[in-house]
Amino acid sequence: MRKSSAASLDTPITQMIDIVFLLIIFFVVTAAVDKDVVDETIGLAQARYSAAVETNDPRMVVLNLRKDGELNIAMQPLTLNQLQQLLIALRTQAGSSLPLLLRCDGEVQFRHIDRVMQVAASTGLYRVRISAEVQD
Amino acid sequence: MIDIVFLLLIYFIVTQKDEISEAHLAVNLPAPGAPQQQTDNKPQLLELEVHPGQLLLQGRALDDSMVFDTLRSLGKGDPDLTVMVKVSVAARANDLVKALDFCQGAKLTKLNVVTLR
Repeated sequence: MRKSSAASLDTPITQMIDIVFLLIIFFVVTAAVDKDVVDETIGLAQARYSAAVETNDPRMVVLNLRKDGELNIAMQPLTLNQLQQLLIALRTQAGSSLPLLLRCDGEVQFRHIDRVMQVAASTGLYRVRISAEVQD
Repeated sequence: MIDIVFLLLIYFIVTQKDEISEAHLAVNLPAPGAPQQQTDNKPQLLELEVHPGQLLLQGRALDDSMVFDTLRSLGKGDPDLTVMVKVSVAARANDLVKALDFCQGAKLTKLNVVTLR
């Protein structure tokens, strides 16, 4: 009786290693997904009639515009001047067909959207899309 | 082992995000300094003004359902119709998206967004 209880107390190393490997694989996979950083503070406007997007252009530049007009890319805040410099550099690399996606909060005033659009147009990028949440 | 499994479970629950299906509403931006083309065969142009909480179609204030119905009937007649979406700086993104969404629903895809100052 004592013998069997002592044997059952051994640490199951093999299974533990399996789990550790699974964890490592999981972290590696999710770290790659983290490139698509989404600003969770943004509440998108609702769209009733538009169709949901199935696939995204991998070149798409996602600009997040918060309720207070604060602009960020992948959670990195930036000014309009910085945005302009960035877009000029991107346009030089990728050309004027580079798509921009504006993820703006539903409550943000258009004056803030307009400033971003003007910067985009001034750099020669005209493919602008505004993101909206599709209502079920 | 059970500890690790529970930790994994908690981790998945905490990091799980609800998938939001997004629509991308395309707009055309006015080119800075682009000359206005004077042609005899002017394209059909429809004006949709976006004000805070209100849409004006060809200068007339209509409720949302009326705007959508009118756009849809116009879209059926001429899908190449260009819509000039004039947006007040005081309007919210919700108002703009509503206008763009109505146009998308009415199969009107030529949308130009300009700012009302």
